[in-house]
Amino acid sequence: MLAVDILIQGLIQGSIYALIALGLTLVYGLLRILHVAHASLFTLGGYLGVLVTNATGSLFLALVLAMLVVGFVGMASYRIIYRPLLSRPPLIALIASIGVFIASEEVFRLIFGPFSISYQTTPLQSQIDILPGIMLSEARIMVVVLAFVLLLGVNWLSRRTRLGIAARASVVDPGMAMSSGVNVETIRYAIFFIGSAFAAAAGVMVSLLNNLVEPTMGAVPSYKALAIIVLGGLGSVRGALIASLLLGVIETFGTIYLDDILDRDSIAFAFLILVLMIRPKGIFTKG
Amino acid sequence: MLKKVQNLLIAGVMTLAGGMGAASAENIKIGFNVPLTGFAAADGQSALHGAELAVQQVNANGGVNGNMLELVVYDDQASPKEAAPLAIKMITQDEVVAGVSGSYSGSTRAAATIFAENSVPYISAYAIHPDITRAGDYVFRTSFMGEVQGRAGAKLIGEMLGKKRVTMITLNNDFGISLANGFKEKAADFGIEIISEYEYSIKDREFGAIVSKIKSDNPDAIYASGYFFTAGPLVSQLRAAGLDQPVIGQEGYDGQKFIEIAGAASEGVMITTSLDRDSTDPVTKAFIDGFSGKAGYPADMVGASAHTAILVLADAMSRATGNDNASLRDAIASTNLKASTGQISFNDLGEVRKDVQVQVVRNGNWHHHSIISDAVLLAPPAK
Repeated sequence: MLAVDILIQGLIQGSIYALIALGLTLVYGLLRILHVAHASLFTLGGYLGVLVTNATGSLFLALVLAMLVVGFVGMASYRIIYRPLLSRPPLIALIASIGVFIASEEVFRLIFGPFSISYQTTPLQSQIDILPGIMLSEARIMVVVLAFVLLLGVNWLSRRTRLGIAARASVVDPGMAMSSGVNVETIRYAIFFIGSAFAAAAGVMVSLLNNLVEPTMGAVPSYKALAIIVLGGLGSVRGALIASLLLGVIETFGTIYLDDILDRDSIAFAFLILVLMIRPKGIFTKG
Repeated sequence: MLKKVQNLLIAGVMTLAGGMGAASAENIKIGFNVPLTGFAAADGQSALHGAELAVQQVNANGGVNGNMLELVVYDDQASPKEAAPLAIKMITQDEVVAGVSGSYSGSTRAAATIFAENSVPYISAYAIHPDITRAGDYVFRTSFMGEVQGRAGAKLIGEMLGKKRVTMITLNNDFGISLANGFKEKAADFGIEIISEYEYSIKDREFGAIVSKIKSDNPDAIYASGYFFTAGPLVSQLRAAGLDQPVIGQEGYDGQKFIEIAGAASEGVMITTSLDRDSTDPVTKAFIDGFSGKAGYPADMVGASAHTAILVLADAMSRATGNDNASLRDAIASTNLKASTGQISFNDLGEVRKDVQVQVVRNGNWHHHSIISDAVLLAPPAK
């Protein structure tokens, strides 16, 4: 059935957005910084995914490596870009972040060339009939499964581990957390690591769906993820998740039925404006 | 002491200036705006290789009337905002004899206006927007207008392949829309019924929704406009969803990258373009071999078009009756030259008249499929 097919496509798209938006909303919740450069980590993840798979033949290794390496790059970005700017108004950090993102597109082009890179043999392309008349490639199914697993993992982490509880405490009340013995620096590194690793996972997933990794592939996620976290309520993880899925579905229906009027990204922003007019703080505001 | 240093410095600068002046008096400067950074950098790279190869080949054969060609290259990022000041710079500072655009339509239009205003000849290598040649008498185009190519697509699908129910997937920029307009203009003439049309933006790589919808439309053939970085994912997603209708594209797909991205899904995809990889013509073969030797990857339409534009200029320069802009312009207008992209001649508007090559992907490479040589169908507008 067509509507179900499109709904599923929308949820797949939404899962990718969720993986990217999570890191962004965590950083905002923690530091009140809009980490635009996050999208360049998404692109880096994609590049590593393709390069490692082409070199070793193992997608699994590529995914793990991409997440680890980009996680560390994320931590480095905190240390090098944001920490020195924490004492300044958040606008400064935002400008620095935008600058890093713009530069990163050209750095990727200089290192990896202006042409896109692709898998030599794209993994996970076999089709599976999940419902009558609806065929999905393994890669598409994997996107949803991976997003689900990773997000459940983060949820468990935040509720059941000391690290997670400490992280939530630092976000809600940093002063109190610090005086209770929480090492806020460790929390920050952890959050940058997790958020960046998830962005890398999203990059690898997108590379599997499109077989195309290019220097500018972070451009659209860079501002769309911002729209998503605003939609979901800045700093709210649950909000970012729901906004991601909602946006994925609306965009997907919109590209078919509204494509004469608005293009795909305009639909995303039109929806954002609509919601913000009704609920200015987003669907779920930070509690 | 200071005075001595100052004198030495002045002497040094004068010698350098004199020396440089002497050298550049020999060279014929051709301005070349091309996207070397930004989203179009891949095509820019190919265009630059094609143009440089042409300059190398001309200079190796003794240049034009004994003078060497010199390419003055500027990165316009495929942006009109960048291209306009670069055009001014090329004309006023570099004093180029003519200009060639190795860039997309947006930036080419901007630069063309400036070249036309200053009466300096300008050739658009592969940008297809109709308004480019309407900028003035001094602007020419060596590649098809979008509308012309779209009409060829209609003939290919409706008459040559015999498919009547067609779904269009249109890239919503200058390129895609002009192709779609040409296609729709002639569709009825070849018995084609356009059962649906979907638009997408140049930033899209995910076509899940459109693919699902087309599955339910169930057309006989799909006419999709785009560039390799959109068409590659699109075709692979179409095939992955189980759609095996013929897919017909245009020169935006032309290049090895499309095949790399779409992989096995690219087999059987057809495009209307200007470069025939299987050509036995010596000029075309020399280009194809020279390009892959220089660039390290197989030749594509963009490289061939830039190569052609430079050769047209060189040929016109050798025939020009005078040293002024107007003589060069007239020499270009009377071109009848065999190049890698076909037999080149221009109509009154500066639009090229040549055959359309249809290429198909077979065994992972582009190959000859057919030629469309309908002069009436392919006649570009003359005003």
